[in-house]
Amino acid sequence: MRLNVDGLLVYFPYDYIYPEQFSYMLELKKGLDAKGHLVLEMPSGTGKTISLLSLIVSYMLEKPLDITKLIYCSRTVPEIEKVLEELAKLNRFIEKQSGQKSKLVGLAISSRKNLCIHEEVSQEREGKVVDSRCYALTAGYVRARAAAAAAAGPAPGGDEADEEGRAPPPTCQWFEQLEQDGRDVALPAGIYSLQDLKQYGRTRGWCPYFVARRAIQQANIIVYSYHYLLDPKIAEVVSKEIVKSSVVVFDEAHNIDNVCIDSMSVHINKRMLERCSNNIGSLEKRIAQIKETDANRLQEEYQRMVEGLRDAQMKRQTDQLLANPVLPDQVLEEAVPGNIRTAEHFINFMKRLVEYLKMRLRVQHVVQESPAGFLKDIFNKICLDRKPLRFCAERLTSMIRTLELTDMADLSPLVLVSHFATLVSTYTRGFTIIVEPSDDKTPNVYNPILYFRCLDSSLAIKPVFDRYQSVVITSGTLSPLDMYPKILDFHPVIVTSFTMTLARPCILPMIVTKGNDQVAISSKFESREDPAVIRNYGNLLVDMVTVVPDGVVCFFTSYMYMENVVSSWYDQGIITQLQKHKLLFIETQDAAETSLALLNFIKACENGRGAVLLSVARGKVSEGVDFDHHLGRCVLMFGIPYMYTQSRILKARLEYLRDTFQIRENDFLTFDAIRHASQCVGRAMRGKTDYGIMVFADKRFQRSDKRTKLPLWIQEHLKDSMCNLSTEEGVQISKRWLRRMAQPFSREDQLGISLLTLEQLQSQEMQEKMRERVTHRV
Amino acid sequence: MPYRINLTQMCRRTSQPVTSRTQSNTSDIISPADAYCLNSAQKNPDQCEATSRDVTMSADASQHFPSTAAHEPCNRRSSFLRRPYRYQRETMADDGEDEGYRWESGYEKTWEVIQEDEAGLLDSSVADLVARAKRARLHQSRPHVRLGIMRHMFVVLDASEAMFVQDLKPTRLMCCIKILEGFVQEFFDQNPISQLGIIVTKNKRADVACELGGNPMRIIEHLRKLATSPCVGEPSLMNSLELAAGALRVMPSHASREVVVLMASLTTCDPGNINLTLEMLRREKIRCSVIGLAAELRIARHLAQETGGEYGVCLDDTHLRDLTLTHVQPPAAVANMEAALIRIGFPAHNTNADTPGKLSYCMCHLNTPAVADGPDRGGYLCPQCFSKHCELPVDCATCGLTLMSAPHLARSYHHLFPLEPFVEVEQAPGGPPQYCAACRARLDTQRLISKCEKCAELFCVDCDLFIHETLHVCPGCSRTTSGRR
Repeated sequence: MRLNVDGLLVYFPYDYIYPEQFSYMLELKKGLDAKGHLVLEMPSGTGKTISLLSLIVSYMLEKPLDITKLIYCSRTVPEIEKVLEELAKLNRFIEKQSGQKSKLVGLAISSRKNLCIHEEVSQEREGKVVDSRCYALTAGYVRARAAAAAAAGPAPGGDEADEEGRAPPPTCQWFEQLEQDGRDVALPAGIYSLQDLKQYGRTRGWCPYFVARRAIQQANIIVYSYHYLLDPKIAEVVSKEIVKSSVVVFDEAHNIDNVCIDSMSVHINKRMLERCSNNIGSLEKRIAQIKETDANRLQEEYQRMVEGLRDAQMKRQTDQLLANPVLPDQVLEEAVPGNIRTAEHFINFMKRLVEYLKMRLRVQHVVQESPAGFLKDIFNKICLDRKPLRFCAERLTSMIRTLELTDMADLSPLVLVSHFATLVSTYTRGFTIIVEPSDDKTPNVYNPILYFRCLDSSLAIKPVFDRYQSVVITSGTLSPLDMYPKILDFHPVIVTSFTMTLARPCILPMIVTKGNDQVAISSKFESREDPAVIRNYGNLLVDMVTVVPDGVVCFFTSYMYMENVVSSWYDQGIITQLQKHKLLFIETQDAAETSLALLNFIKACENGRGAVLLSVARGKVSEGVDFDHHLGRCVLMFGIPYMYTQSRILKARLEYLRDTFQIRENDFLTFDAIRHASQCVGRAMRGKTDYGIMVFADKRFQRSDKRTKLPLWIQEHLKDSMCNLSTEEGVQISKRWLRRMAQPFSREDQLGISLLTLEQLQSQEMQEKMRERVTHRV
Repeated sequence: MPYRINLTQMCRRTSQPVTSRTQSNTSDIISPADAYCLNSAQKNPDQCEATSRDVTMSADASQHFPSTAAHEPCNRRSSFLRRPYRYQRETMADDGEDEGYRWESGYEKTWEVIQEDEAGLLDSSVADLVARAKRARLHQSRPHVRLGIMRHMFVVLDASEAMFVQDLKPTRLMCCIKILEGFVQEFFDQNPISQLGIIVTKNKRADVACELGGNPMRIIEHLRKLATSPCVGEPSLMNSLELAAGALRVMPSHASREVVVLMASLTTCDPGNINLTLEMLRREKIRCSVIGLAAELRIARHLAQETGGEYGVCLDDTHLRDLTLTHVQPPAAVANMEAALIRIGFPAHNTNADTPGKLSYCMCHLNTPAVADGPDRGGYLCPQCFSKHCELPVDCATCGLTLMSAPHLARSYHHLFPLEPFVEVEQAPGGPPQYCAACRARLDTQRLISKCEKCAELFCVDCDLFIHETLHVCPGCSRTTSGRR
């Protein structure tokens, strides 16, 4: 269908449209017109992706000069694939409507692991190994040596080796072919998913990964993961040359601040430092060896150091594995400081740094200090200056290149330490260093860790906001919306939350505050060990399980709490009662175990046995797994998933947020807890034909500071009568509601209310309603 | 002497000539499966009537017939059969007073069922709404489909722990049994040449409570026995389906095979992969429908979808009754169902008075003479082997011939040529008072009024439903046609 969105012709590849999709496009259009940033919340399952794609692509077609590129960031590979599918559908629709071949180029970019078609390398399971093996085949010097060997004449066998006494190194035929055919060959117009890229690579004999990397410049639409834009180490390599007039979309962006923080943080423990020492040892040996055979090479490198790092950058098309963390521009302009220019000196420098860190880790109590304090201490103790520290990462990269080391995976601890050195000397604000003698989870085991922790999520994302014309942050759960602009430190032009129009009340949120014995249930610290509370939680689950068909998912606030509760339930006989009705599965911290549990959970739901999954908010299940339709007919949230407030890292961050952004500790904690809670319960609801019960089982949820922070689309259905229920009441309500929802529900029932045809959309009445909805601004 | 009736002529087809079949050797065999439902045929009922009289007679009885029914005691059919189910509802709540105390059950907010209209008043015409819903069901226009009139159906009754829940009164089990009793009667009323059996599943097992058979009294008796049995454990959907499929598989291919599951439990405990069973059911063309008593169960919906059945979840007991009764109507025939002719005997009824024959026991009560009234002269004699049966329809205990009376067949007939639904009309205000053509009740403007489009008579809602559900013939039309004659 072809829509008129505020004067813009929008191609929409479906015959029906949800009203909120239209409103969404309207707001998006306004934001793009204003060339500003947007924060948009719309429930999952209402077609965010296609609305975004339709509008932005249509905008690009109509005003090619205003928007030249769309960068769509998603979280996981399956999500990326989904986006590409929608995009391909849209592209076909545009071609059909306009009657000519579309010139759009859209592609997905992922790691080498997902794109490699080399016979052996692609068999590797681990991303790091694939990277490192690819590097061993495609690095500049490897190829140069192979070329030299080839020029010397076709090698007849192993007996005729090159001057170093080694056989000519193997290279990757796909990459060689690509190099041969030239760097400037353009990708034909079309939409390429990861599979399509591989296919294209195979037919042309080119390496898909590098084809994709090189097509970044040319493509109109790029779909990749957050890290390519947010992680400065990768962003600099991949996304640096993307033009300013691009639109950046962060989908499922409710956790974007954590992604930003994680990309700038480094954790170092004792084991890693040991491996660092080993790394240094092997580097030393290698240097000595090279010195004997090829001293010239080291000399060349020294020259390069004198000249500065900038020109080195140009040559690093393929040798990008060790890109440095964000370096301010002037660092790249400068020459490398004298005391780390020669290889031996740098090795000694690193040795001292590692020894110093080892010394710092030898603590019996917690130490917290600022980067400035750390730099001062390091200067006093071992006389390392700030400036050489800053060059650490870049210098190490250069050295590894010179030494022609190919096994990158081995060197990762040393690389990490060099990153740490660079970061700590570059940023003085927004970071903290905490050294703890033991883990939070195992307080009695001596296992010192040094956390170098970013406190300011705006640091990593700042370049993105500064550089690109429009940045769209969207998700199903972004409430309260005013928090994101604060913590990410930007000024959006449009902040809107959309609700879901429904033909039937297909979500049933309720707040259960007490058990049948009227004991208040809550996971707050004082009462969480109380057997009465645990028993009431158990009874609630048992009662729900008897009335809810197929899949039930429960979320606890932490693994530890879950373990406690489950063992008490076992003693109280609740587990036996549960198992009478459904099979029981538990999420553990082990990923393989959890995915096996999930697999069997799905199986049990499919064949009518029914299953309960006990999992943890903030765990893998709560973030990445959808429980649509029968898999999640009911989601229970036991307690409010607050972060572990005793954690020093959290305390430091709260303090920073208070001082810098004037966000009160409690506000932030509640915001974080509620967004995770709504993320958890939102797992059950993945579309308009779906239905599910959402039980918030904690007394504290009914307080208005918690309730009003829930996403609008949940709040809308959370009537006052549903807010202070006992177990019994909740079960009765669920029972009746489930019967109602089981009645046949067809597309015809939705038409005109929550699903519109073009005529219905254009009717006066609907247009007015739509405008009303937009005023739902928060 | 067996009558032979050619149903192929009864069922009219527009395109295909029926002569070839009538001339074949087996022309004394009727094929109800060949029935067509044609809207075009409804337009001239006179003609249909004429063809239905086309019954020929033959003494030929040398063919072999597969016998399906076993020797089974057979009670006399009572007037029960004719009682429309609506009137039985009142009796339902009387039974089972000993089903636990009122305060033991979960409390219900009965006031929430009451709906207010826009003016804040209670909606007084709830009955109207129910009637409207029923009418809507009747109004569903039947497309040109072949119906499987000869049906073999198993009702699977869940008797697991979940059946003991008291959200349907007095318990789910009692409620279901009451409704099933009505269903069985209605079923045989409308499908006299069909067979019904009952399977009960509990404690992870499935047992046949009542074999396939054509005697409603026997089935109801078995059903009543179930009411006293305890509800324990979990049901097994797979076991019951396998059991039903085992019995249905051997049924002749011209008959439709159906399973209706009444399921209260939200789980099923199966010994193997139920998807394989599902695959088998689909292959065998067994139509499975499920009626859930609590909530939508994925596997149940999947089962119904895959095998072409219906899936429904009841809201309350009335809805449950409606859902169950939808299965009274014969389903559309499976595509490759074989069109075969079957033999049917039409025994004449001998009364005690007018026949001078000897005293004899009937075949049905040979083994249980105590139940019977004793030897008498009356009964139905099988035209093939002359064994006596006391009631119809039945499969002859001696030679296996299907015995029935012509009215039975005629009753199946309305599926082929259903009475066209009446249209809803508004009474013109200010006109003279109008009266229902059937019951002479005064038609009030507030109530729904139906009008037969053919004879233009007006009927009240109750009569409309009665005519369509029970009579299947419009009194107005029959009066006017007879008047014309």
